[in-house]
Amino acid sequence: MKRREFLGLGVAAVSAILAPASLSAIDYRATKPDAWTAHNVKDAIKALYGTTDTIEKGVKITIPKVAANGGAIPVNIKSDIDAVSVALFQDANPESAVAVWTLNENSIINFDLKIKMKASGSMTAVVEGKDGKLYSVTKSLEVALGGCEG
Amino acid sequence: MKVKAKNKNGITKVKAMAKHDMITYDQAKKKGVKANFITHWEAKVNGKVVYEISTSQFLSKNPIIKFQFKGGNKGDKIEMTWIDKLGNTKTKKTKIK
Repeated sequence: MKRREFLGLGVAAVSAILAPASLSAIDYRATKPDAWTAHNVKDAIKALYGTTDTIEKGVKITIPKVAANGGAIPVNIKSDIDAVSVALFQDANPESAVAVWTLNENSIINFDLKIKMKASGSMTAVVEGKDGKLYSVTKSLEVALGGCEG
Repeated sequence: MKVKAKNKNGITKVKAMAKHDMITYDQAKKKGVKANFITHWEAKVNGKVVYEISTSQFLSKNPIIKFQFKGGNKGDKIEMTWIDKLGNTKTKKTKIK
């Protein structure tokens, strides 16, 4: 019985050491698999950050009002917030998450990306500040020709 | 992959284009092939990570990304790597101009 208790303690100790390591891990696809399969923006944000409470300020997203080609929609995200990560979601495709940036001390939040969208909808950018709060912005756009049919 | 990097006033701007089909699950079903897309990108200067992004299937075909970061001297080498869902990976080294 004592041996069992000892082993149990060992497992607890190991998991305690591993837990913080997995938090600082960087590949969001490996660490947060649920966020990438969520079907709407709210679920995806919740899977990624554990909450859906966001403050709507401090983030700027630039997208065209009408995208002629849904296969390559230019997106630009800008912010001055001292942040840990930035995430981009949209609500037209089967899954919501598009990208998650991990920031470091050299980062400037000014990212450009081209994305695919199946139909008209909206995009949401979320910035996770170092103060633990989430800042977000949502903007809608029209897509003339869907880009996911291939 | 094509990578361009330019330093101006202490800020390095980078533009990268990967050659990748970025097949979504829907497209894969229609075409009868496996879904495959770039899942993670990384840029390093002098062994230090300066840019990192995890991406999903909704990037455009042959995706283009642009970003900037503080630091990076002219002549330093920037190393850009991506990895896709099936584990293929590609690395490109370019001098910062």
